[in-house]
This record gives sequence, C-alpha cells and structure tokens, in this order.
Amino acid sequence: MVFSSVLFLFRFLPFFFILYFLVPGRGKNVVLFLGSLFFYAWGEPVYVLLMLFSTVVDYVNGRLIWRYRGRKQAKAFLVSSVMINLFILCFFKYADFLIQSVNGLTGARLPLLHLPLPIGISFYTFQTMSYTIDVYRGKAKVQNSILDFGVYVTMFPQLIAGPIVKYSAVEDALHNRKVDIIGISHGAKRFAAGLAKKALLANTIGELWAEISAMEIGGISVLTAWMGVFAFAFQIYFDFSGYSDMAIGLGEIMGFRFPENFRYPYVASSVTDFWRRWHISLGSWFREYVYIPLGGNRRGVPRQLMNILIVWTLTGIWHGAGWNFLLWGLWFALLLMMEKLFLGKILAQLPKGIGILYNSLAVLLGWVLFSLGSLGEIGGYLAAMFGFGGKLGDSQGWYLLGEYFILFGIAAIASTPLPNLVMGRLEKSETGWGIALYRLGEKVVPALLLLLSVAVIVDGTFNPFLYFRF
Amino acid sequence: MEEKKNAFFTTAVIAGILLIFTVADFCRGDRLYSETENRVLAARPSLSRESVFSGKYAEDYEAYVTDQFVSRDKWIGIKTRMDILLQKKEINGVYLGDDGYLIEQHLPEEYSELLVAKRAALLQKLVGEWDATVMLVPTADNILTDKMPANAPYYNQAVLLERIAAQVGENHYVDVYGSLKAHMDEYIYYRNDHHWTSLGAYYGYLAWAESRGEEPYAYRTDAMTVVSEDFLGTLHSKTNLDRKGDTIQYFEGTEKRPVTVTYDFNEVTDTFYETSYLDTKNQYGFFLDDNHAIVQIDTSYRNGKTLFVIKDSYANSMIPLLTPHYQRIYVVDLRYYNGRLSTLMKQMEPEEGMDVLVLYNCIHFLEEFSYSE
Repeated sequence: MVFSSVLFLFRFLPFFFILYFLVPGRGKNVVLFLGSLFFYAWGEPVYVLLMLFSTVVDYVNGRLIWRYRGRKQAKAFLVSSVMINLFILCFFKYADFLIQSVNGLTGARLPLLHLPLPIGISFYTFQTMSYTIDVYRGKAKVQNSILDFGVYVTMFPQLIAGPIVKYSAVEDALHNRKVDIIGISHGAKRFAAGLAKKALLANTIGELWAEISAMEIGGISVLTAWMGVFAFAFQIYFDFSGYSDMAIGLGEIMGFRFPENFRYPYVASSVTDFWRRWHISLGSWFREYVYIPLGGNRRGVPRQLMNILIVWTLTGIWHGAGWNFLLWGLWFALLLMMEKLFLGKILAQLPKGIGILYNSLAVLLGWVLFSLGSLGEIGGYLAAMFGFGGKLGDSQGWYLLGEYFILFGIAAIASTPLPNLVMGRLEKSETGWGIALYRLGEKVVPALLLLLSVAVIVDGTFNPFLYFRF
Repeated sequence: MEEKKNAFFTTAVIAGILLIFTVADFCRGDRLYSETENRVLAARPSLSRESVFSGKYAEDYEAYVTDQFVSRDKWIGIKTRMDILLQKKEINGVYLGDDGYLIEQHLPEEYSELLVAKRAALLQKLVGEWDATVMLVPTADNILTDKMPANAPYYNQAVLLERIAAQVGENHYVDVYGSLKAHMDEYIYYRNDHHWTSLGAYYGYLAWAESRGEEPYAYRTDAMTVVSEDFLGTLHSKTNLDRKGDTIQYFEGTEKRPVTVTYDFNEVTDTFYETSYLDTKNQYGFFLDDNHAIVQIDTSYRNGKTLFVIKDSYANSMIPLLTPHYQRIYVVDLRYYNGRLSTLMKQMEPEEGMDVLVLYNCIHFLEEFSYSE
C-alpha cells in the first residue's frame, strides 16, 4: 500500500488509528503489529512470510547473542544474523543482476530467476542488522518480547521506504511511549506536509521527467535536457523526503521519534555536505556499521579514501541492481575523495553560493546516471545536456518551460529552508498579527494541502513511487 | 493551555477531513460509467484465493476504490483548476486555446511513419479500384494555429496531406486544408468539441464541389438555423471546466426537398437531423442520428447518381450538404460495420456505377481507416 492513495488515506488510516487509540496499553502494539502485517501483505501477500522469517531469525539471534555476550559464541550468532540478512537481500535483489553479469562476461547462459523484489527488503534487513549488531556491541539491550521486536521490524510507517530506524533509537518507545495532543498534531501536520510533497510536487513535476525521458534522446535540445534533469531531481527529492515526512509524522502520532532523513540537500555547499543532508538514515547506517568499523578516517588518508570508495560503492548498489547505480555511487566516491584531498579546502574559501552551484551540478549529473538504465542512454543524455547534437532551445523546450515554470519555482522554494523559516519567524514573532497568522496558517495550510493532495491522487493519472524499487 | 487548544484544533481539522470523506465514501453508491470522463469505471473485484495471492485482488480493489471515490468529478475539477493556476495550457490531452477554444491535442510521436505508410497504402488501393475521391479534414490544432498556446506541439497534418495527395493523385484529392485555412477566423470548429461546425463542413463541401467540378448548391450561411446554444462536447468533458456552450446550426436548404434516411436497413425517417440528441450530452448526434454502420439516403433529386461514403463522425454534418448532387447516398462507418467493405461496395454498386468518397478527419483516418479486398 502506498501512503499517497485513496486506499491508504480513506480506508487503512482511519480504521487503523481508531482501533489504535481505542485499544489500551500493550494492546496498542498488537494493533500496530497486525495492522502493519496487513499493510504489507496487501501489496506482498507472499513475501510477508519472508519478512516474518527475517523477524524471527533476528529475534532468536538477538537473544542468543545476549545470552552469550562477551563470549565467542556471541560472535557466531552475530555472523549468522548478518549472513542470513545479507543472503536474503542479495538473493532477492542481486541474483539476476549477478547472473546477467556472469553471462555477459563468460558467455554462459545461466537462466534468470525473475524474482520480483520484495517491497522494503533493503530497509528492513538493514534495520534488523542494526539490532543484532547493537546487541552484540552492548549498545542495545536484548528484546525478549517477540511482539515488541515484531513491531520494530514491521512497523508500517517506515517499513517500505525508511527512514532506516536503528533499533537503539526506538528501543524505549517500543514498550513505553507517551503521546500528547501536541505530539499528535505535530505528527498530523508533518504527515500532511509529506503527502503534499509527494502528491503536489513529486507527482506533478515527475510527469515532465516521464515525458522527457520517453523522448528520442538524440532529438532533444539543451533546454529540454536540463529541464528533464531538474524535474527528476525535484521528483526524487519530494517523493522520497515526502515519504520520510509521512513516516516520521505517523510515527510521531503514535509516540515514536524516528530520525530525520533529509535536511534540505539541495542547498548543500559541497558533496560531503550533501550526504549529510540526503537520506541521512542510510548514510549514518553505513557510517556506523561499515565506515567506522573499517577504520573511518583514523588510519591515514589512503585508508580513508579506500573506505569512502567502499561505502559509496555499497550505497550505489543498495539503490538497485544495475551498473548505473554502481556508477552513481562511484561518481560520488570520486567527488568525496577529491573533496577530502584538496577540493574541500578550496571550497571552504569560496563564497557559499559557488559551493551550492558546484554541488547542484554534481548532484544533477549524478541523477542522470541514477535515472537512466543503460550506459548508452546516459551518454546520449549527457551529450544532449551539453549541446552535442541538438539545438540550444527548440519550440518543444519553450513550450514545456511555459507549462512548468511556475511549478519549478514552487519546487525550488519548497526545497530550501525558506518556508519553514517564515513559519518559524511568525511563530516567534512579538506582534499579535504574526502569531495570529501563524495560528491560522497552522490550521489552514495542512488542511488545504491535504485536500489538494487528495484531488491530485484521485485524478491520479501519474502516481509512481520511486523508492519502491530499493 | 493555549498551545494544547491549538493542537487539538489542528488535529481535529486533519482527522475530520479524512473521517468525513471516509464516511461519505461508504455512503455513496457505485457508478458503472463516468459521463464526464467518458469511460467505464472499475467495479468491485471478486474475492478468490488465487486473486489474493497473486496480488491482483489488491490491485483491482485499489483501482475500484479510486475510481468510485466520493465526488470523484469534483476532485478532478479541483486538480484541473490547480493546473490552470499553474498556467498549464494543456489539460488531459486538451489545449486551452485563445478565444475560448478547447483544442484536442495530437502529438507528433503518436503517429508513426509506419502507421501513415500503412493507411496511405490502403487508401491508394481503394482509390485505384474505385476511382474514389479523398477528403481528409485537418483537425482544429492544424487550422486554428493562431489560437493554439505558444509553441504547443501538434502533429503536422499538412505534411500528411501532401503525401496523401501525391499518392492518390491530385484529381482524386480534395484540398480541405486550404479551404479551411482560408476561413480560419470564422466559427468553423466547436469550442467545446473536437468536431467541425456546420459552417466548417460547408467550406469542406465547397472544396469538394470545386474539385469535382460540381456547381455548389446555394446554401445560405447567413441564415443557418440554430438548434442549440448550450453544446458542451467531448473536449469539455475531458477538462470539466465551467464554460459557455457552443451553438449548433444546420442548413435548412439540405431538406428543401423530401429525403428518406434509413439507418442500418431498418430504421426509416424523413430527416437528417435528430432533435432528441439535443437533450443529451452528445448533442453532435443531432447529425445523422449519431453513428450507424450503414445509412442509406434517398433524396428527391432524380439524377440517377449514387454516392458511397466511407467516413467518420466528421462526415455526419457534411453529408446532408451533398443531397442535391445525388439520388442515393450510402454511408458506411467502419467502426461499426463488421463486414468486408469491398463486398459491401460491390453489392451496393448500381449498374451505372457510383462515386466513392472517403471522408475522415486526418486523425480518425490514421486511427480507423481500413480497406481490404
């Protein structure tokens, strides 16, 4: 089930929350667990068993690690947990890619498995690994309740698209969480804002990218090509961060505090900065469980560069089994290494605007790699962007610009901290009308966003969800 | 306390919206068909073990809930208004043109070279075998170019027509394009519908007469009869905006002498014009009783000449204008006629032979025309 659907908003959500708030105490976790299973099984009636299997495996391994903590066996159970998770992930996500690569390299004709990717597998396997690793490291206590652990793994808000919540972040909330009306209203507003990002911005501007990416690449003008990448950049940001907002908001309504996943990545002033603002929960997962264990930056520059390369190779292929995702990861690894070596120092001395420009260019070029499946298409598209072949602007490009320039403007403003800054100013303003405006906006804006989002969803000719693939 | 009150209120508004529409959605009945969207809506899927485990049930159920959602048309109307606020010039395949014109969008990439070649070859065959006359009417986007949004893409039918003219030969080809283009500032296309008006059809008729060397009948364009002033056609349906209706007119001269019109060999009437359609959404159906597989027209002009028309709905408003030139006119719509066209033609052809006219708009021609022996 997707959040931005009639089914979720007007069937699942009301029934779930009515039940959730009616049932007292521990029963809430039962509602949340069963509700989440229903939510997942709706789209994945078979793979829900895989998720339950993964839950049980890590529950058992967690307990065994705890029982043998400090002893050799603990390590064995940790290895068992990590191996099983990685195996599940690799098997379902990368098997066909590996087979294809082997076939391509050796000329063998191994048959493909054609397994559909279980939704959210990249997210929940990473979550459960964080649990067993943290228990092993003594950073988290064992979870003896299979229900509470099940809630952690399957919780529907962040189940299928993150944020990747580390076990330690919700450990206490799993059995003891308080929520008041202020938290609920905050969560509800956050949900409405996230829904609007997804429905009003990502879906609408995504139509432009869908249109441009379907064109004959050889024939498009520079103008059209750049509009296409910008459209994709906004689509993926509002799609993904909107989904994270909705997840965080839903969590907040129930008293969970999920980590923030995005902090205005497009105003980052370097690629290093970008990765502290984009998909933060994935970045911090890799930092904590890969980069730092490999030595991070503590073992000299060559080792650090190596670690960056490893982490961003993994980040790349985490996003999908394809060469373009690998290339996308390597592109950032290269830039990050350059920033570590010399570029960072230069950027620090330049005005911030230059840094933002540089990062935007780097990220936009990255999206070309990310969004186009084959190397041929990528090459053709880059050529179009830089004017090899096509015209600077053609009537098609100008027409599309006319159709979308207001949306581009709104998207650009919405991807900066400006709207929140304005609301924050009003909230803290000394004058009566400032507060009054804030109070009014606080009620009217979410309601309006919600209604308009529903209109777009019902109209619903275009409602893809990019992060389903990961 | 103040903060709590505000929080409560905010929550109530958001939860209220979700709950009200949830309850309302449970109270509404299912609709089979959406007249505004002109399509059949998804129905409640049936539950089976198989459909559940394949995920098909979930998929169908979701389509069902979305299609049937309470006040669906109003939500779509809100989306359309948002698009207009965003200065969009194209909504659901319809351009918002100048002077209150809605113009149907036909993108160049939708009509492949292969498709054009295929249709042109079939047409050439028909023309070769029957010495037929070809009238392909350009759609509004190609004629009302000054009313189109700036730079808006459209499939260039002038290129198509040039090719068709060359392929069938100039003396089989009627230049409707040039005739309409010369009158592009007049009311030749409806503002809310994809058809040409009776005036547009009249200019098409003039082009036909000129190319055939016929003396055109003196229809009076200054004294056309108005039958409707609130026609909101297909393009209105696609956009669902509040708009002023179009005027439907016809030439009384077409029925100056009695006619007999027989639909599908069984329904006989004495007029080209069915006023009952004027009370429905499909007012264009006024002309020749909407669409039939075969229409036979017997005029009172006893010149012994027969015409066989292969056509789309554009032809419906022009065919009555041909009355003075033929004693009998057969009209075939290939979307509704299931038999073999060439057999039918041979069957209908009188001993002294008949004229054959292919009358489509360019788009319908590419989408629908076929001919096989």
